[in-house]
Amino acid sequence: MKSKISRRRFIQGTLAAGAAAATLPSLSLVAGEVEHSTPSGITYTQNWCEMCFWKCGLTAKVVDGKVAKLEGQKDCPSNFGKLCAKGNSGVFQLYDPDRLQKPLIRTGERGSGQFKEVSWDEAIKYIAEKANGLKAKYGPETFTLFAHGSGEHSFVDLIHIMGSPNICIPSYSQCTGSRDIGWALTYGKPVGGKEPVDSENAKCIMLLGRNIAEALHVGELQDFINGCANGAYVIYVDPRYSKTAAKSNKYMMIKPGTDTALLLAMINYILVKEIYNKDFVENYTSGLEELREHVRQYTVKWASEITEIPEKDIIESAERLCAAAPHCYIHPGRRLTRYGTDTQFVRAIAILNALMGNWEQPGGIYRPVPLKLDTPHMVHDLERVEADRADGAGTDFPIASTDLGLANKMMQAIAEQKHPLKGMFVYGCNPFHNQGSTETVEKAIKASELIVTCEIYMTDTAWYSDVVLPESTYLERYDPIIITSRKSGYIQYREPAVKPLYDTLGGWEIAARLSKAMGYENHFMDVREYNKEFLDSIGLTEENMKKHGCLVGAEGDPFPVGSGAEPEFHTPSGKAELFSSMMDDLGYEALPSYEAPPMPKGDEFRLLFGRLSFHTHARTQNNAWLLALHHSQVDLWINSDRAKNLGIKNGDDVCIVKGDKKSHPCKAKVVDYIHKDAIFIPHGFGSVSKMLTRVVGVGARDSDFTSDVTDPVSGSAGFHNGFVKVVKA
Amino acid sequence: MKKKYAMAYIVDRCVDCKACMVACKAEWHVPEEDFRTHIDTGKSPDYTDKLRLHFLPHQCNHCDDAPCVTVCPTKASYKREDGIVSINQKICVGCKYCIVSCPYDARFFNHELGVAEKCTFCLPRIAEGLAPACVTTCPGNVRVFGDVNDPKSEISALLRDASEKHYKVWKLRQDLGTEPNIYYVQK
Repeated sequence: MKSKISRRRFIQGTLAAGAAAATLPSLSLVAGEVEHSTPSGITYTQNWCEMCFWKCGLTAKVVDGKVAKLEGQKDCPSNFGKLCAKGNSGVFQLYDPDRLQKPLIRTGERGSGQFKEVSWDEAIKYIAEKANGLKAKYGPETFTLFAHGSGEHSFVDLIHIMGSPNICIPSYSQCTGSRDIGWALTYGKPVGGKEPVDSENAKCIMLLGRNIAEALHVGELQDFINGCANGAYVIYVDPRYSKTAAKSNKYMMIKPGTDTALLLAMINYILVKEIYNKDFVENYTSGLEELREHVRQYTVKWASEITEIPEKDIIESAERLCAAAPHCYIHPGRRLTRYGTDTQFVRAIAILNALMGNWEQPGGIYRPVPLKLDTPHMVHDLERVEADRADGAGTDFPIASTDLGLANKMMQAIAEQKHPLKGMFVYGCNPFHNQGSTETVEKAIKASELIVTCEIYMTDTAWYSDVVLPESTYLERYDPIIITSRKSGYIQYREPAVKPLYDTLGGWEIAARLSKAMGYENHFMDVREYNKEFLDSIGLTEENMKKHGCLVGAEGDPFPVGSGAEPEFHTPSGKAELFSSMMDDLGYEALPSYEAPPMPKGDEFRLLFGRLSFHTHARTQNNAWLLALHHSQVDLWINSDRAKNLGIKNGDDVCIVKGDKKSHPCKAKVVDYIHKDAIFIPHGFGSVSKMLTRVVGVGARDSDFTSDVTDPVSGSAGFHNGFVKVVKA
Repeated sequence: MKKKYAMAYIVDRCVDCKACMVACKAEWHVPEEDFRTHIDTGKSPDYTDKLRLHFLPHQCNHCDDAPCVTVCPTKASYKREDGIVSINQKICVGCKYCIVSCPYDARFFNHELGVAEKCTFCLPRIAEGLAPACVTTCPGNVRVFGDVNDPKSEISALLRDASEKHYKVWKLRQDLGTEPNIYYVQK
């Protein structure tokens, strides 16, 4: 039992933060320098982009006190001088009159949109009194937090100060949780947010719904496009021909929900044909014989019937990968919240990668180069709360991350009120769009006595909140310097390009004011003071950062195994675990099996959703520059044969229907390149908040129609078992 | 030798992310609903016979024999020495002849200013030694800009390389005799 606990702790540790190893005494000044001559009235300030979460380095050009243009920092390893459409539209966001401009306290019913503008003092006092009352009545665990974004730690620390462990970073359970758990079970560490796949040097790339071109992160896309240009053979598997499919050499339309069957058959084929990387598998993995025995049942013929992919394509994919090995990868995915079986799906991906022996090899999985620096703490004397959580992370789901929590299970816990969870804090995220069930969110909101949202826009969640705290955007505030690792380790600096346009504050200042008003004595550092102390400790100054924006501090070999080092895995066996001993210990299936998800019946469709290249989450849809790219039109992809049967023509207005719920109209995009079982809509539309003036009621809100199943291993959500009908508007 | 500015798109690298469109909009305060550059999607053949989508950027072709210049009654549209087709907004009367004459649909009417508008190859930026905004921002490095009369320029090197390696290189509607200066390169 003891060893189990220590293993669980170990997994927890691996997920906590970007693991770092080496230290570096000083930073070399190599990146990002501003070389412009500066005519009078023009200044340049440094930042990282907050239009998504990849954190591209950027320089803001300010002309006569107004941000005129944003451009990528030339040498920032996140984006090498480039910005995407979202990044470029940050200027519009800054000056968008739809932004929250003053603190608001609700005056009408929740969801009525009736608020009064108040001063910061009034808003802070109101929250402090309410929160202290809740704490006295229900205990400190009554508080929950859903937080995402560069400023999330401000509210994370605040909730710790308030005494609650119920902190959720939705990027785990609503996005990458199953992926990182499945990977860590196999390799001893999670994939990590910077996608360490070496597309540039890959000879073969296989993507299972990893839509790199549209779920766009600039650095990741650059590597991928360079890989394509360098001649990588790209195999793309998706029920839908996406823009990434357009860059592939082989597109395989898969019946949605059957990806694990495809992988297991490929694994079986590769083992039977003995075309795996024998040196790696024999020396550095464990469980080969168990795996071989287990996958014997999964023949190519069987998989072809299930996935609807021709046998020859499955075989060719397996052979192409093996021929390229170790300079190939099968992408571990990013948002893996599909069918409630995602951890085992990722286990199958991880195993297939292990058979390639691509660990820390060029063209395979690279090792991010760490930059380990001792950083100051924004909050002094912070005691992190270690009590049991209301969402079951660490208990019901023993290897789910307790640092990141289970946002899905927490929202259910608030709705169910088995514990008195009465005070909900939301920072920078939007549960009405990121949860699988809006009914659950509605119930949770009804059950809560205080809901506080800190945001830059009146999101759907803010619309239902009691207090709305307007945050300064990234172009108006300082934030603590961040450390990032890709093929080098670097620090990134954020300074305001302009003073706040409206009566807004940065997250850290808001958290500090709330903490003080609630009577806590913890000292919050001023962000600039933090940055100064940080920079002092590494011999740099604010001036260095103002000039360079981004500095590379650690360079190293991202392919140590390729260079001859022995692979090391922090797993219980010390090897890459094909057979997962930890899953075996915990009573989960130690080898992945195919479990068919529920399938649509009759005239139902499986609802799939995802990103467009030019929108992030549910955050950017109201941006007029981005809306103009698609004329505010929200497409609903539907298979041509199915559409014909329903009398739906391309361009028709159509609605999604499930039970008594009906979406706002979308435009039918009738194509033969989406699987007949599925429809697809872009994420983030169909908002109800009337203060998102350009998109209120535009398109469908996917979360009204998705499933909210739970992966039994990671505890993460599964959204793609939602079945809907489509009708003409 | 005189400069002759041109642009090439390495179309294999384009993913239709539309960063170019928004960077241009930001740079030039292009009216909200309009863009000076676009990306079209081509489809060949259909799904059953190996579907392939192609993403093809376009913008003003800065033609050597530009119909917009020919039809402009006030000479507001003119061809510069360096090859750039420009609009002198001060003498543009907003007659829209140029807009309808352009075979590339590169121009639109700016209702705020009452004049025709289009891509300028980011003239003030190139004067500062910067690349055009669309080139600078393009995450796929699709766009290559430069002086085709300078053999050392990146675009000259690309076109030379394309010719040596027999890449497919074309321009839009060359049959019209407009002599456009946007090259499409497919490896």
